[in-house]
Amino acid sequence: MVKLRVRQQKSFLRGGIFVEAHKAESTQEPCTFIDTPKELIFPIHFSGGGPGKILIKIGQAVAQGTPIIECKSGILHAASRAGHITSIEPRRVVHNSQALSPCIVLKTDGSNRQENNLTPISLPLDISEIKERARAAGILGLGGAGFPSHKKWEEKVHTLIINGAECEPYLTADDTVMQIDTHSMIQGACVLASALNVKTIVIGIEDNKPAALHQIKKTILASQADHSFEIVVIETKYPSGGERQLVWLTLGVELPSGLRPVDLGILVHNPGTLAALARALDGKPTTDRIITITGEYIGRPRNVIAPIGTPIRHLLTSAEAKFDCITDITVGGPMMGFNSTALDAGITKMSNCLLANSIKKYSIDPCIRCGYCAVACPVQLQPQQLYLALSNDNLERAQHEGLDDCIECAACNNVCPSHIPLAEWFRLGRFQNREATRNKQVAASARIRFEARTMRLDRLAQEDASKRVARREQTTDALVKARKLREKNTP
Amino acid sequence: MQITEPMTTTKNMMGLVVLSLVPGAITATWVFGAGVLLNLVMAIITAWTTEGLCLAMRGRSIAPRLKDHSALLTACLLALSLPQAAPWWLTMFATVSAVGLGKHLYGGLGQNPLNPAMLGYAIMLVSAPVAMTTLWVDPLNPPLLADAILAFLGSSSDAHTGATALGLYRNEFAGMTASEIATYPLFERSKLGLIAGAEWTALAYLLGGLFLIHQKIISWHIPVGFLGALILISSFFAIDPDTSTPVSVHLFAGAAVFSAFFILTDPVSGATSSKGRIWFAIGVGILTYSIRTYGQYPDAIAFSVLLMNFAAPMIDHYTRPRILGRNSAIKGAGGKSWPGA
Repeated sequence: MVKLRVRQQKSFLRGGIFVEAHKAESTQEPCTFIDTPKELIFPIHFSGGGPGKILIKIGQAVAQGTPIIECKSGILHAASRAGHITSIEPRRVVHNSQALSPCIVLKTDGSNRQENNLTPISLPLDISEIKERARAAGILGLGGAGFPSHKKWEEKVHTLIINGAECEPYLTADDTVMQIDTHSMIQGACVLASALNVKTIVIGIEDNKPAALHQIKKTILASQADHSFEIVVIETKYPSGGERQLVWLTLGVELPSGLRPVDLGILVHNPGTLAALARALDGKPTTDRIITITGEYIGRPRNVIAPIGTPIRHLLTSAEAKFDCITDITVGGPMMGFNSTALDAGITKMSNCLLANSIKKYSIDPCIRCGYCAVACPVQLQPQQLYLALSNDNLERAQHEGLDDCIECAACNNVCPSHIPLAEWFRLGRFQNREATRNKQVAASARIRFEARTMRLDRLAQEDASKRVARREQTTDALVKARKLREKNTP
Repeated sequence: MQITEPMTTTKNMMGLVVLSLVPGAITATWVFGAGVLLNLVMAIITAWTTEGLCLAMRGRSIAPRLKDHSALLTACLLALSLPQAAPWWLTMFATVSAVGLGKHLYGGLGQNPLNPAMLGYAIMLVSAPVAMTTLWVDPLNPPLLADAILAFLGSSSDAHTGATALGLYRNEFAGMTASEIATYPLFERSKLGLIAGAEWTALAYLLGGLFLIHQKIISWHIPVGFLGALILISSFFAIDPDTSTPVSVHLFAGAAVFSAFFILTDPVSGATSSKGRIWFAIGVGILTYSIRTYGQYPDAIAFSVLLMNFAAPMIDHYTRPRILGRNSAIKGAGGKSWPGA
């Protein structure tokens, strides 16, 4: 029997800011499929994983769902439409660096050919079976981070949270998933919950999404699931949808610094990821995602279901963008996303929003330590002190002030009366920090290798020396014996 | 990325602080005569000139920094702290010290470790002690415009000036009982029953300060900490009214209320966390009482603020809030010591 409880949040966000949501723009029109683009682009590099293994050859014909890349974590990425591979060449990619990176280019042929290597699997399922399916179907965190989902499905998980907060302004992709793909989302959550023996499925949702809330309630009550659900309605305040913040808002658990939710047995998933999982179990790999196209330069802002790899320009065209105004677009939300001028790059599984706004340029004034940023910080950092340390190239001091605890939510940026891009400073600082740590590790392992080599060479030299000594002793012994023998024989 | 206009900008913050000084300035002019206005005009002109010259010498663009109202604010704060019958050179040198030495010597806006206005005040107090202690206008006998202009031009006349209430308590009232002191003209002919009009300026500054708190330009921590500490200590020692300065004089005679809302709240040179700000303010309160009672100078805010400015970085190291997810707050300096490399 399905159990459902809806409640308001009991714990509240420290800090945080109220921003204009701008969500109404992209929810005016229903979510639709877009025309298949002529060309799809798949970068072979993945965040944090290095280059993936290319599974196809140039000129090969592929169907929708044919695996084309296997990335380091073992996840197979599928061709999102049928066609043939024209080339593997450097293209600009959707990434902060705007760099050229090798990409697989697929020319679509408009046919509906589908790869049927994944068979629908029936319930009940074992967790290893689900993990294997998630890997083969290319499931990763669709919320933006792109973490391989199956790596989070550990034995100790006792609570599953569906992160329906979507606190970033302008974004309505998760909202749309929760409204039109509710059934898959709930199904995915239930399968996962059964396999992991999860008692309660918690859904955190901001109070500005009544339609999605209604739809979820309806779907849960209509489902045959044997789980207890708890919907926590939370106040619309940025960044309530941050993973750590949501765990606090829904469960009242404060995650210890440096630990991930799964370390405490809490699993947090984006609605889209769970819906994709349900589809994967039906035998359909992730080939499409819902993406919000919005902003003041977009003629028809809305959500669309787009094949992975669709060039940004194609999506903007389908949304009737005013190209002569657009210099660069924001990929991801306006708070945590990044600007890109690479309009011909293909979207990835993590791209949840294309935002085409005029970008205001502010003149930056000196920091006067007013402390507004400290009030806005959801983790209670002192951004003004961090900024002071980082702008003085004092990374150690910044770390001491808690740089590693920064969630890069950029709430501080939006309250700074001097328009200082604080979050960009912190991102840079954290990056430098990681680089320094990695360099240290590289140096340490090099030292260990060097020491091992020196020891080995020493040992070999010693062995050589002892052998030589032994040989010489043998020779000497033989000579002595021979002389004694000679002396004995000669009278 | 910044997507929303912040609640306010640095320029607006400074502007609002200047605006909230207006009621205090008007009341001060009413009580102490036109000397207040002359001080203001002189200080503002000097501050703008000094700011422009310093920026030019440092090779920085002048217009954006002049427009941010920070020099204007320093000038206003300083002018309202100086003796009302101060000659032009006193105001000028004080302002040059405040803007030039107090701010630009350290790298301009946001870089100064000390409160510029109080540095300018303190420099003049040690350089021209007589002018800084004797040229306070007697609120019972404020000068007319002509007299105020004469005083401003440097022809000092004792007709309109006198010691302040705090000065009287420290130098004249030893051995007198509270009832004898109450018959002293300064207290007898008081407009509110306190200190002959000075209390009205304090109330006007209070009004401006409350406006700033309402606008979230300053936080309540500093005024509450400072005035709280001052009231607590002075009322503790005021148990014997014959030997101590009453609480009302501590609060209303000197620059206590003005400083609580406008001087201590300088974010650049003070402590930065909420807890730190309370400790900073309490420290200034204790020092102010101590210097007023046991020190050489009748009013003590400038030195107390400067001393606590030196302590502000240390206060910051021990008053960090607990970062969410950590067991306890991080204490101590850590990292490389300043400056930078």
